[in-house]
Amino acid sequence: MNHMAKTILRRLYYGTKILCKFAMISPILLFMVYFSYKVDRSGLFQGALGPRTVVDLMLSGHDVTNFEQMDERGVVSLYAQDVPENERPSVIGIGSSRVLQFNREVIGTDSYFSMGVTGADVRDNMTSYYVMVRAGKAPDVLVWSVDPWVLYGSEKAFDSRADSELYNEFLTKVLGVETDYEEPDKVELWKALADPAYFQGNMDYYMAIRSGAAVTDDEGNEIPFKAVTGDVYDNDASIKRSDGSVLYSKEFREQNQDQILFNAMSACNTFNSVHMEGFTELSAKQEQAFDAFIRYAQSNGTTVILVLCPWHPYLYDFLLWQEDDHQGFLQVENWIRQYAHDNQVPLYGSYDPLQLGMEEMDFFDGLHCKDIGLKKFFPGVPAILQQIESGSVPDALEITPRTTAAERCPW
Amino acid sequence: MEFNTPLFLGFFAAAAVINYALPRMLRPYFLLIASYAFYLYDPDNAALVWILLTTTAISWAAGLALEKIQRRAVRVAIVTASFLSCGGFLFYFKYLGFFDEIFSSFLSLLGGKANVLQLDLVAPLGLSYFIFAGLGYVVDQYRRKYPAEKNPLMYGVFVSFFPCIFTGPIERYDRMSRQFRHPRPFSYNRCAGGAFRMLWGYFKKMVLADNLAVFVSSIFSKPENSTGPQLLLAILIFSMQLYMDFSGCCDIAIGGARILGFDLLENFNAPFMATSFSDFWRRWHMSLTGWFRDYLYIPLGGSRHGKVRHYINLVIVFLVSGLWHGAAWGYVLWGLVSGVLSAAEVIWQKSFAKNSHAKPPLAVVWLQRVGTYVLFSLSLTFFMSALYGVDWSYLTTNITLGWNTFFADPNAFCAGLSAFGLGGRKLIVLIFGTAAVLTAESRGNIAAWIRRQNWSIRWTLYYALGLGILFYGAFGQSVFIYQQY
Repeated sequence: MNHMAKTILRRLYYGTKILCKFAMISPILLFMVYFSYKVDRSGLFQGALGPRTVVDLMLSGHDVTNFEQMDERGVVSLYAQDVPENERPSVIGIGSSRVLQFNREVIGTDSYFSMGVTGADVRDNMTSYYVMVRAGKAPDVLVWSVDPWVLYGSEKAFDSRADSELYNEFLTKVLGVETDYEEPDKVELWKALADPAYFQGNMDYYMAIRSGAAVTDDEGNEIPFKAVTGDVYDNDASIKRSDGSVLYSKEFREQNQDQILFNAMSACNTFNSVHMEGFTELSAKQEQAFDAFIRYAQSNGTTVILVLCPWHPYLYDFLLWQEDDHQGFLQVENWIRQYAHDNQVPLYGSYDPLQLGMEEMDFFDGLHCKDIGLKKFFPGVPAILQQIESGSVPDALEITPRTTAAERCPW
Repeated sequence: MEFNTPLFLGFFAAAAVINYALPRMLRPYFLLIASYAFYLYDPDNAALVWILLTTTAISWAAGLALEKIQRRAVRVAIVTASFLSCGGFLFYFKYLGFFDEIFSSFLSLLGGKANVLQLDLVAPLGLSYFIFAGLGYVVDQYRRKYPAEKNPLMYGVFVSFFPCIFTGPIERYDRMSRQFRHPRPFSYNRCAGGAFRMLWGYFKKMVLADNLAVFVSSIFSKPENSTGPQLLLAILIFSMQLYMDFSGCCDIAIGGARILGFDLLENFNAPFMATSFSDFWRRWHMSLTGWFRDYLYIPLGGSRHGKVRHYINLVIVFLVSGLWHGAAWGYVLWGLVSGVLSAAEVIWQKSFAKNSHAKPPLAVVWLQRVGTYVLFSLSLTFFMSALYGVDWSYLTTNITLGWNTFFADPNAFCAGLSAFGLGGRKLIVLIFGTAAVLTAESRGNIAAWIRRQNWSIRWTLYYALGLGILFYGAFGQSVFIYQQY
């Protein structure tokens, strides 16, 4: 063997030996990466600590305290990510706080999760469903409680809490609409896993949890969410149920008729301020988006059920009385009814409580129905599916809501 | 490019692989390129690279001239010119503002108008180190200690050699030239030992020094909020922090150079095992004290011109050494105090300890060690005041406060330390880590020692150090203290 060959062989030998020695150190690096990924104090991979705590509790079957302090949108996104494939809800509800009163009992199946969020705008509606599809967990049935501002084309219809980045992702990736969405830099994200300082933060966090110390986020704020213990109905504050619905406080649930009326009266003057300031006519663009979204859901094998939750009779009467100030709102229901009729999409409920036989005690306040009220117009998903199968879905045009002051009637 | 960054590790690994892939005759030239790449990476250094180049050119040319010229007067002129030109850079970047301030204060005292230059100069990386290396070479040539280097590139790699341009050790050309001219073949054992030395250095720096620094800096950044016991503890801990920081950096440099096939000077020899102040200085920052011994103390006459000259020379050497560390009164005072203490020790030894050749009992040895440590730590107070910009009025006032509370409830004092980062698991790691490092280093060369162990001990130690760094190391937040000198 000549000198050159010996040199090459020698170098190969030592090169391999050095690589093997480095490989023997790799368990430390692998442990660091694995631990940081699983604990993930800053929520880079597993979601922020607050929502993660809530979702973990809900997924283990618990109802969770402190609903008012929750990042509801974070909870929805994280639920879609974390719910196991085999526990994927077959029915989900989307919409604003009004859909949060749709619980498993109202829906009629245990395989349900309410993905509604307080003040949901059209972006929240669509992204709530999109995150399920993106996670490969598209539901069989989508119950969409349509709020009137969904068809309002102004930015005033938007809620500042909505995840506009996620919506842009949905528009760009799903509907092919050009936005300023940019694919997030995954490399930067994954670099955190190779950052020993992040590992140390995770270790401190993990040890704090193990020692029973209060869990805090990166800013040092305590995570206030705990599993509900004792009688869930004897609650001082609102509770997020394990099915995503919300159980208001006992005091709020047990208000008398006068208190409910007072709430409804209070809502009259603030009605437009909820995403409907200056709403005079329907937006053609929003109508197209509405249609595109339903078709998108159907293309994913999801049956869409539209729901129009009624308003308190006093409030609705006020809207009719102040007809000129609520022109946009008063056009919404008829447009949706026509759409549902034309496209054979099942539609239940009405904004007009009179059409549904609703009474004042069917409400908590001006906007939110109790489950007894919901059951008056919503027969439950299994029954609706049967109606679809048998072709007996009520025609959306069977109901004609009152839309003018002239149609007011004493109540 | 800091030693404690992944970028440096990547750079170093690439440099090591290429170094050994090249034919031996080309390796010094590659290392010259790598050293300049290392230097130029930081834009601040890139703008000032001409100082490194000029220093290299001047000292190399002076060496050649000194080898050829016989006339003493001319030779002295060359050495003087070299010192003035290369030392001029040092003076301009490090001392001009300081001396101008002194001059202006002096003028003010005499009633003159003081125009203080508002200089905010950023000194190039390793300025003190490469200038001392270059000037040492010039003096060696003046003394005709060894032949002058004819190849400017070979000399250039000595001045700019990247493992030691950062914080030393301050190398000597005769040692390094042999290694540059005859690069060692690849040796797995050398590389493994070097890698372990680097790991050892990272542990000392990132786990021990940086965590001790949290306590020390939090005390000295706000001395007005600190009590006497806290200040005293910080003073005692600072010397340990400084040692772990500086020697850790040197371990990385020496280990890195060892991987590349070079032996650098050792800078420390278990200094906290010293039993006297002069013994301590024979073990601490040895490459600098050696430089001052050879190029300042001996030319001044050393101990050959009577007792008084000897003491004065000692004080001068320490005074200059203090000034080398930085242009601030704190460093000057530290040098002066160290010089006076060294001289006092020599006086004491010559006067009272002439006949005490018997080996003292172990307890006495440990008392001497502790005493030396405390003495050194107290002298470092001046050094630390310059480093942290401590207001002396707070230091002298607050050092007397809080002792009654401390003696009344020492447990509360200990519990309070956790607020400064000295609590819980970290405190245990710091205590045991420091003790383990000092013990291991007192027994000799750690890189050579590890290669004599069987694989189970070796790998247990590798994992312990690696996990120690992973769990307790401070990442991306600190530079080496001696980097600024």
